[in-house]
Amino acid sequence: MKLLEYEAKAILKKAGIPVPKGTVVRSGEDPEEVAARIGEKVVVKAQVDVGGRGKAGGILMADSRNVKEISEKLLSSSIRDVPVRSVLIEEQIAIDHEYYLSISIDRSTASPLILFTSSGGVDIEEVARTNPDSIRRVTVHPLLADVPGFSIRYLLKGAPKELGPVINRLYHVFREHDALLAEINPLVTTPEGVFAADAKLIVDDNALGRQGISENRDLTDRERKAEEFGFSFVELDGTIGVIGNGAGLTMATVDLITMLGGRPANFLDVGGGADRVRVAHAVRLLGSMPGVTVIIVNLLGGITRCDEVAAGIIEAGVGQQVIVRLAGTNEEEGRRMLDQHGYRMLDTMEEAVAAAVEAGR
Amino acid sequence: MIFGDRTTGVIVQGATGNQGSFHIARMNQYARSVGGRGVVAGVTPGKGGQESAGVPVYDSVIEAAYAHDASASVMFVPGAAAGDSIMEAADAGLELVVAITEHIPVHDVMKAVAYARMAGCTVIGPNCPGLLSPGEISMGIMPSHLSSPGPVGVISRSGTLTYEVVHELTRAGIGQSTVVGIGGDPVIGQSFADVLDRFAEDPQTKAVVLLGELGGNLEEEGARMAELPVVVFIAGTTAPPEKRMGHAGAIVSGGEGDAKSKISRLKALDVPVASRLSEIPGLIREVL
Repeated sequence: MKLLEYEAKAILKKAGIPVPKGTVVRSGEDPEEVAARIGEKVVVKAQVDVGGRGKAGGILMADSRNVKEISEKLLSSSIRDVPVRSVLIEEQIAIDHEYYLSISIDRSTASPLILFTSSGGVDIEEVARTNPDSIRRVTVHPLLADVPGFSIRYLLKGAPKELGPVINRLYHVFREHDALLAEINPLVTTPEGVFAADAKLIVDDNALGRQGISENRDLTDRERKAEEFGFSFVELDGTIGVIGNGAGLTMATVDLITMLGGRPANFLDVGGGADRVRVAHAVRLLGSMPGVTVIIVNLLGGITRCDEVAAGIIEAGVGQQVIVRLAGTNEEEGRRMLDQHGYRMLDTMEEAVAAAVEAGR
Repeated sequence: MIFGDRTTGVIVQGATGNQGSFHIARMNQYARSVGGRGVVAGVTPGKGGQESAGVPVYDSVIEAAYAHDASASVMFVPGAAAGDSIMEAADAGLELVVAITEHIPVHDVMKAVAYARMAGCTVIGPNCPGLLSPGEISMGIMPSHLSSPGPVGVISRSGTLTYEVVHELTRAGIGQSTVVGIGGDPVIGQSFADVLDRFAEDPQTKAVVLLGELGGNLEEEGARMAELPVVVFIAGTTAPPEKRMGHAGAIVSGGEGDAKSKISRLKALDVPVASRLSEIPGLIREVL
């Protein structure tokens, strides 16, 4: 789950990383009062997690005369189709130099990975393309509580030593908050010292509970409902509803539909131990999507009970055609039940997908 | 075969939960059918002295390992305690932990895998169906009836997709040496390259199927270094970027690891890539 800039900055501040003075403002709150406490000149930043926020008009300079107008305008707008629900009003700071610092996970070594470059303030992917040698990288052994001094010295070669403590404190934040990514871009030096001018934190979805986060904001309503039922659900944009068990098998089903010229409407992994209630929920969920004209159910598993699955499909009673491929126990009973209700059961995944693509034309 | 055989004694961690007890029974049913030792003990802290699916339960791995000759564990312990359980098994001197559990916080996985490595313990998974050597041993939840013994190794990030492929191979008369589910998480104990190294030392294995997904670049790393001939299939060519389709590891970030570019990089390495599952047996026959 992605945290917003002001949330990430609050965490950094608590961890001892200086951030510009600032307060978050929502609709109905008073931007002038907030700005007055900060200073004459401020910057108003839309709190949306989109790339290129500045270029899209989401970061605006203001002063005491126009901060109200600018804030209210931003709060009633969208940046790249994402509605702005809050803005961060911050002091303007005089920047000497912009650096980039991030900590993420290196899958090859299964360790935290620290990236640092003196080419900050721009998209790191662009730097990776145009000036890759300027990016210093180190991995840190996962059992270390601190970034070793030799690693910090390596990262900061040529850059001001005062950035060192920030690296270690960001590492602590990364670990303590179960982060997948902790990024400061830009990390700036100013006459008043070092500041994190922007901050991004992504929290591991598997750790939301222990981080005290009760709900994953990044899900759509349908995705959230699906999660409650124990499935993984992603909306796509087509006519063929897809239900599978197992992420890999479900993705391969979605891929095969596309390969054969069909348009999948979604990805839905119903998870292990599919029982009639779960299957019925899944089928109903897809049945409720307006663009879906046919649904394919592809379930494979030694312990999956095909009669249970068939019962779930029948119970859901959706208007769309349902094409089924089931392998497990009680296959014959499942097939019989489905035949009786006019649903088609096919033997192999490829046959089922081909039939669904045909029906979805 | 790799990682274990009929003589391997297995401990199940999380032995008394629904998952644990159900799969102890299944693994032992398989062990009986092939003449293997199977699951010899279970561990659930606080339930020492009880029994689960016919095996004695202990409070800790060290007690179970001391009482029985066991070298491996299959772990069903949920989420927050799972990382600790892996470390406990490593600390007790086990050689192998097969971590079935999904949704383990990634920071716990990083620490547990690093700790296990230092203790000389191999971790497979997490978020995996385990491993199966047809005719020898089942350590995990894979259905054995779709498999048959033979010369092809299978390494997969998926669960049910693996069974689908194993089924295809068996139907085509191509048997498997060991089927290893390495798991769907972004951080895993054994990568494709690690398991390929093991297969390279295994006289039974003559070729390997790699079943990968979008996200990361472990398939390329593995295929590049492989000593045995490999055939690859990548799921998720049509997955939208930045959306997580089920597996925590199946996310494309920072422009790396989307399925289509993985496939072109693999093809550039002259690695056969199946565009659909049914092509796999044919491609394998060509390299055997």
